[in-house]
Amino acid sequence: MTDSLSRLMELRDDPFRWARDWKERTGGKAVGFFCCYAPEEIIHAAGALPVRITGENRVTSKSGAHLQSYCCSLARTSLDMALTGDLEFLDGTVFVHTCDTMQRLSDIWRLNAGYAFHGDVVLPVRFEGDAALEYMREELASFRKRVSDNIGPVDDSVLARSIKLYNRNRGLLAELYRLRREDPGIIPSDEALWLVASSALVEKSEHNAMLEEAIAGLKGSSAKPDEKVRLFVAGSVMDQWDFLKMVENVGGTIVDDDFCTGHRYFDAEVPLDGDPIEGIARRLTDRGSCPCKYLPSSDRASCLLDRIGESGARGAIFFQFKFCDPHSFDYPYIKKTLDEEGIPSLHLEIEHDSVSTEQLRTRVEALLETIRGC
Amino acid sequence: MTAEERKLYVKIQATEQMKKLMTDYYIEAKAAEGTDRPVCWITSGGPVEFLIAMDVIPVYPENHGAMCGASRMSVELAEVAEKMGFSRDLCSYARGDIGSAVTKGGPIGGLPKPDFLLACNNICGTVFKWYQELARYFDVPMFLMDTPFIHNVKTEHATEYVRQQCLELVGFLEERTGKEFSEQRFAEVALLSVEAVDLWKQVLITAEHRPSPFTCFDAFIHMAPIVTLRGTREVVDYYKLLVQEMRQRIEDGVSAVPEEKYRLIWDNIPIWYEMRNLGNLFASNNACLVADTYTTAWAVDIRIDEPLTSMADAYTKVYLNISIDLMIEQLLNLMQRYDADGLVMHSNRSCKPYSLGQYDLAREVTEKTGKPALIIEADMTDSRVYSEAQVRERVEAFIESLG
Repeated sequence: MTDSLSRLMELRDDPFRWARDWKERTGGKAVGFFCCYAPEEIIHAAGALPVRITGENRVTSKSGAHLQSYCCSLARTSLDMALTGDLEFLDGTVFVHTCDTMQRLSDIWRLNAGYAFHGDVVLPVRFEGDAALEYMREELASFRKRVSDNIGPVDDSVLARSIKLYNRNRGLLAELYRLRREDPGIIPSDEALWLVASSALVEKSEHNAMLEEAIAGLKGSSAKPDEKVRLFVAGSVMDQWDFLKMVENVGGTIVDDDFCTGHRYFDAEVPLDGDPIEGIARRLTDRGSCPCKYLPSSDRASCLLDRIGESGARGAIFFQFKFCDPHSFDYPYIKKTLDEEGIPSLHLEIEHDSVSTEQLRTRVEALLETIRGC
Repeated sequence: MTAEERKLYVKIQATEQMKKLMTDYYIEAKAAEGTDRPVCWITSGGPVEFLIAMDVIPVYPENHGAMCGASRMSVELAEVAEKMGFSRDLCSYARGDIGSAVTKGGPIGGLPKPDFLLACNNICGTVFKWYQELARYFDVPMFLMDTPFIHNVKTEHATEYVRQQCLELVGFLEERTGKEFSEQRFAEVALLSVEAVDLWKQVLITAEHRPSPFTCFDAFIHMAPIVTLRGTREVVDYYKLLVQEMRQRIEDGVSAVPEEKYRLIWDNIPIWYEMRNLGNLFASNNACLVADTYTTAWAVDIRIDEPLTSMADAYTKVYLNISIDLMIEQLLNLMQRYDADGLVMHSNRSCKPYSLGQYDLAREVTEKTGKPALIIEADMTDSRVYSEAQVRERVEAFIESLG
């Protein structure tokens, strides 16, 4: 393991340590965000550090006074982190609509968590058509103005520099995924996914430097013979590292994914020609979509099927959080599509306050048995 | 109905007229299946005026969901969807509707097959995912009207975006129906819609009178025409009749709850399978639910001089598409206007945009008005999550606390 890789891996035990250190080091501001449709480049260009919050495994103590138990644990545990003071280092937070739950969490957060800056970017749900794209540009431009007024100036040249850094990061993560598809033995699944997740917690130029070194190290590593069953995993956020380790332990390996803390986070780059806001908008519609967005001309099931084929995965795991409506609505038809193609799959649902990797083990083992028997 | 229950309930005469209106509507809609007359399934917050103006029959799965719930048939339909892989945690209207689409089950033998779909996400993101599934199941096109959520500030570019989509919708309908959109016909429909909405508001306002001539349980039943048929002449005639009857009640001193002592506000979609029991429970405790946040959602303003822009504006501003701060304002307004003694909130597992935030809303309303709030955990049509004994106990304790 290279120095950079081990430094990034250490961060997993205390994900916000880097942000707190960065603030102390630079005196800069940290701005939390939840959804990977958030225009991080704009926040970064203002000199602030965008930090992604995706909940954590904990039993909540304070969020129950604001959110019902049928609200997903991403929202419940994130709010709990804020209300118990675990996110005190934040100077602001940004919400980009996402889903019904996040839409309401934004208000509850603003009224109760009380960070200086609160940004709502009401992105469209339609991601096709001139009117939607024009609206998206206006909404992003309006956010840029609010960031400029409240955090720091965002002029074109700085924004262009931030965009280049972000594109470089996306390119590096895409390379990591390519290397892993070719030879899954070079890095365990949990480490590969953490390399992506950590990118949303560390300033991009520094993350790029560490990522470059880590990838160079992986290229030189000689892989063990590949006997593991190749799997594709899909869902929203993947932050269950013990689960991923367990999958490897029982003989599976994840060769590609459709997580918003995985492939969707770095998919597609911002075009550098033309207006930067226009470019950011174009990337958001070009990248692999999440079930919250409406792109009538592309079908999520066929997109996933294509990617499963390209990755050489022999089976799929739908890994999702309980009470996630958008993913729950898409599951039956995607599952049906996979069934028709003879791809075995497994549907798992967890909550951050009651994760039991042991209970999931037998189900993953059963899936691997099915695949080996195919 | 037992003799005891009969004493608690004064029948609204116009009900028969409403039943006829709704029956005729469903017969006409069902008869249209497979004919040249297009059928469009539309969400409850959708801009139906466009469909009426293009002579398309609007069909409302949510209204049908309420019917299934009230006839206690939702669970068996939801179970069909659950067997298909839809999570039990998803909206029970959506589950019941998918189950009914597949089996033609429910009190009226299912809804007529749609020729196309119109989903407007001003009430939730769920309708967009639900209608996507319907589009796949029926293999028909869908139009998504995307109304950006209002976090306190309504932007000009949001209104423009929705206005542009209204124009797109016109094109979509012209293509599907093979007919040309007539601005004149649209203006006529919009005018009838405005008239019906205005009459509906007048009906609701009669409950300001103490004692109130009707309860929100009545409003939940009598809202069906304003949801499904606004923009038609029949609806205007119907609400004229209803408002007249309510005013007559005030004149005659007839109250909906015989001994109205407490006046309460209801929040969220009704618990359809439990309407009668809940109505009796409150009435027998001398409490009248005089207003609610649900039926007022159809009191949208459309300006006739600028139907498109004002419609885009009105459909974006509905109660479920605004921030908690703006909801608090509206709740406080209702509390004051109807001189309410408390707030009853249905925390509805099926509806996150309506329910998440209720804990904060309840605290804020109590803080600002000094009036208590009760939160009931339930589901609008999935009775499996409902505990009658628990709700009864809590409602009784709540009313007792009102003094």
